[in-house]
Amino acid sequence: MKITIENTEAKFIIRLADTSVILGQRLAEMCSSGPFLEEDIALSNIGLDLFGRAEELYKIVAKLDGNKFTPDDYVFRRNEREYYNLKLVEQPNDDFAYVIVRQFMHDVYVKEVFTQLLNSSNTELAGLAEKVLKEIRYSHLHCKDWMNRLGLGTEESNRRMQSAVDHLMKYVEEIFNFDDLDKKYLTDCEKLKTVWNNEIETTLNESNLKRNLVAPLTMRDYRDGFHSEHMGHLLSIMQYLPRAYPDAKW
Amino acid sequence: MVEEKTYNHLWEILSEVPDPEIPVINLVELGVIRKIEEQPDQDKIIVTITPTYMGCPAKKLFNDLIIEKLNSRGYMNVEIISQNHPVWTTDWLSEETKTKLLNEGISPPTIGDKIITCPHCKSTNTKMVSQFGSTPCQSLYKCNECLEPFNYFKCY
Repeated sequence: MKITIENTEAKFIIRLADTSVILGQRLAEMCSSGPFLEEDIALSNIGLDLFGRAEELYKIVAKLDGNKFTPDDYVFRRNEREYYNLKLVEQPNDDFAYVIVRQFMHDVYVKEVFTQLLNSSNTELAGLAEKVLKEIRYSHLHCKDWMNRLGLGTEESNRRMQSAVDHLMKYVEEIFNFDDLDKKYLTDCEKLKTVWNNEIETTLNESNLKRNLVAPLTMRDYRDGFHSEHMGHLLSIMQYLPRAYPDAKW
Repeated sequence: MVEEKTYNHLWEILSEVPDPEIPVINLVELGVIRKIEEQPDQDKIIVTITPTYMGCPAKKLFNDLIIEKLNSRGYMNVEIISQNHPVWTTDWLSEETKTKLLNEGISPPTIGDKIITCPHCKSTNTKMVSQFGSTPCQSLYKCNECLEPFNYFKCY
């Protein structure tokens, strides 16, 4: 089955859906591997939110494209190069600091994206945006707390946070290389960039962390389906069962 | 008149469906069921629901429980429409429902998550332990007076 996306708006929305499901998968990997019970539950709950959000977004994509495919088709039957998520969210859970910094960077980004989508002419998308903004509040607060706590914690926790920030910052530049689709469906791309940079810098400052200059990665854009090496491994685990047993039901 | 009677009757039937995770309240009280329509010519019931949280694991179960309940009362042709807008909010919980939650040991949502009452000793001297609790819609709190832990239903 070859999954195609024809509608222009669907092509834009699937980026958000893919970003949501891939980050959800990364958090699902943390289930039962959290540093302590409450945090384990927190990460799993945030992961659930992301899966739920992705499903609703894929439904809108499917509808715009004549309901040829289901959310499950989009998630389980596309290959790496057919996925359009931010490279940031596919980065592995190398360290708890990575999990937190990645989530925080993501949350600040989607918070502004969905704020802008409140004005979408697609009423379903605008309605969904309202719901997403309610749900994201808790995840955002949670990660901000951790940013402060670990940044201002011990020498070791600060060092690991700084290392996560430096590493993950390499995947940020592409987020703001807006294309025509971004410009068409977001109300203010430049504002998205400013809001993101401001909040990240404020939080880093108050957490005794720095935004070091990082060499931009010479990787091609996520909007064209390009990924880091981790994406294929992630999909192979996530898609194994439905690909091995295509008609499996439970 | 007849229609009105059936209509109320259907709401009553669905009031018997408990929330799968917080069984002390039912789906009508939770505000999940937004609309019940009857199409007598097609002998069909259409129930419109608004999920509480997009990632709620009980979402699919809601549908099954509603269909099962209506089937058991002889309404075999049931369709469920899920709508996200208007967005579900804890404001839809009535004061009576909130009291039920409190009596069951779950502190009900308060605006802005400001004043959180301990369901055990009713003190408001409480402290959050974790933003995320046993279900996606609850946070974990601790009472500073009686020292007991409890769940708080997050405000959405």
